[in-house]
Amino acid sequence: MECDIYNKACQKPELLLDFYRESKVPLIGYSCSYIPEELIIAVGAQPYRIPDLEAERSSLTPNFVCPFAASVLSNMLRLEQYFSAFVLAHTCDPMWRIYDILKKKIRKPVFLLRVPHNTDNPLSLQFFKKELIRLKEFLEESLGVKMQNDSLKKSIKICNRNRKLMKDLYLSNLNENYSIDSANRFKLVLSGFWLPREKYSAIIENACAKFRKKRNIQNKVKLHLSGTALYHTDLMERIRELGGIVVSDDLCTGSRYFWDNVEEDGDPISAIAYRYLRRTPCPSHAPLENRLEFIKFMISKFKAQGVLIITGRFCDPLLYDSVHIREMLTRTGVPSAVVDYENLEQELPRIQTRIETFIEMLGCGG
Amino acid sequence: MKSQKRSSILRTTKKIGDLIMEYFTKAWDRKNEGKPIAWVTVFTPIELLYALDITPVAPEHFAAMCSARGLILDFLEKAEKNGYSQTLCSYSRCGLGYALSGAAGFMPPPDLLLTFRNSCDVYVKWWQSLAMHLKAPLFIGEAPYVLSEEDLDGYALDFTVNQLEQLIKFAEEKFKVKFDMENLVKRVELSDIASELWLKILNLRRVKPCPLGGRDSASDIFPLVVLQGTDDAVNFYRELLAEVNEKVRKHEGIIENERFRLAFDGIWIWHAFDMIKYFEERGAVFVYEPYSEAWAYRLDKSKPLESIARKILAMGLNIDIDLRIKNFMDRIKKYDVDGAIIFSNRSCKTWSAPQIVTAEILNKELNVPYLIIEADMADPRQYAKAQIENRIDAFLETLEER
Repeated sequence: MECDIYNKACQKPELLLDFYRESKVPLIGYSCSYIPEELIIAVGAQPYRIPDLEAERSSLTPNFVCPFAASVLSNMLRLEQYFSAFVLAHTCDPMWRIYDILKKKIRKPVFLLRVPHNTDNPLSLQFFKKELIRLKEFLEESLGVKMQNDSLKKSIKICNRNRKLMKDLYLSNLNENYSIDSANRFKLVLSGFWLPREKYSAIIENACAKFRKKRNIQNKVKLHLSGTALYHTDLMERIRELGGIVVSDDLCTGSRYFWDNVEEDGDPISAIAYRYLRRTPCPSHAPLENRLEFIKFMISKFKAQGVLIITGRFCDPLLYDSVHIREMLTRTGVPSAVVDYENLEQELPRIQTRIETFIEMLGCGG
Repeated sequence: MKSQKRSSILRTTKKIGDLIMEYFTKAWDRKNEGKPIAWVTVFTPIELLYALDITPVAPEHFAAMCSARGLILDFLEKAEKNGYSQTLCSYSRCGLGYALSGAAGFMPPPDLLLTFRNSCDVYVKWWQSLAMHLKAPLFIGEAPYVLSEEDLDGYALDFTVNQLEQLIKFAEEKFKVKFDMENLVKRVELSDIASELWLKILNLRRVKPCPLGGRDSASDIFPLVVLQGTDDAVNFYRELLAEVNEKVRKHEGIIENERFRLAFDGIWIWHAFDMIKYFEERGAVFVYEPYSEAWAYRLDKSKPLESIARKILAMGLNIDIDLRIKNFMDRIKKYDVDGAIIFSNRSCKTWSAPQIVTAEILNKELNVPYLIIEADMADPRQYAKAQIENRIDAFLETLEER
């Protein structure tokens, strides 16, 4: 594979669908970072995260329902033919209800992973483990294969390796030692949702070798990006052009996806359950305090000067959280701005102006 | 279309206002006696709280009441000024606005914030936000989405029962109260009687002409929201059943000339009860609402915790779409419904998101026409009266022509 395949993959991930079809690799479409890819890989399938790219919002949901979820729904309906099954997570209301709609609208098997919202409760962990066993059985039945324990252990190692590489990449930007451009880093993370997992580690390593160089960031404004799932690489590029650098994030398509690894010893399902439920919670989940702590930790570790909260319009969980994130930031003296959007591509000029103003303000000392 | 003679509401329904005021007065009395107050989301274990001597107060009900009485705007604006987006659930904006205004009105301030995520995930966010503002202890329970009827006997049920036991322990430690199983059994029995009575009342709406309309059912649910497990609820429904039975005996409909029998899918639009009246004045009566039915759930006093857990799990929006559609279609036939009003509620995304799919199936399978109305259940600023009435006129004309 070419070294910059990651770049192409995140520009138009759909191009890979034919590749998988021709390679006769079964594809499992999934919705978010609460779905353990380890289980999908362990049944010999390729996990493929369904983004909101290349789609108008589905008209099957009212226009006040999260446009991100409505676009993911459109893509699942539009691309159904490529997939053996879909796996969704019960995170927020719109993602939950997409499951309902898909059940009535497609022929392929659909699974809803119920992720208890109080992630700290020991009872939630017991329940979630049972849900993972149900998911395992669903995948086995959908693909007509039996998941072997060894395959699961192997897939845990593959995913751990990928996550570790991404985290190392992230940490290499510590202490003013800014060596990987954040827009490129973002693309590398995104591409992992669609590229063959076994080859992904080599792709990251090759790309890092190519892009790693010492950069002068003295005049750049260092930002922490807070939000949910973001697939639009344009935004990162615009931030760079406007004089900012995203030094850290808590995105579902960013650090929250790869920050923690699965324990490789012991019962694999229990280890996966623990890792996925006890990682920094998504805005839809509790405790909020754990999320606030993670944001505070990232800002301090990467010395961010300001926080940009980027949220899809009607994203209820983030809109509630943003009040508390901002309160916390005000207390700690870190400036923040909320940027909301319905269609990021179409609204980019407006968003750009908003970000530019924020960066200028921070550049002048806040 | 000619207007019918003005319709009325039931005698017993008119007593709801006093019952609500009495309920809030009692809640404040309890607070002043030093007894714990819990702010709860609806469809939580109310019976269990009473058995623990904790008084439940429901900010959702409070928001609906404020909206109906024109008192909500100050609270909505208070929340919005504090950063809560106008696109968020209006019940939650009202509750947060009330909390941020000092929580010193009808609802006494909470000693416990209790929610079980079942009808929506907003509960978790809203209750977290309340906890941040009010610094009150928070208990977040989970009632997993019921994927099949078997779930009500499987590990989703065990998980919910275990959380109820956890809640008991939490309350005992926090408030130094003693859980009394005998008391819970009594509460469960009373709650079951109230549910049974309400289901009997709803069933009488099958009668033509329909003896109880939308304005009644919207108000009459109140005792099942926060008084489950009390004599007050049972007494209210006994009286209501007697009145409805009397109307049935006299062949007296809630409106004078019943021409169309309608279903209403959604939470009521609390600030626009005039809309129900607008239908009634044109000979259209609401005979079935999934919302009204959702409050009743039969309980087995020999298995109190398990029964309560099933009730929390099986609330209307928390059961699989196939089961929801099946129930809806059964009722459409049972109540001989001519048309459905689908309320696309900007606040309630969990209810509204799959409505288009449901309505399409309804129309295809049963040939029932439907009208989609978009507004907000509690925020009067998001209601286009003239436009909605125009659409109602057109819809009723369609029904007329069938």
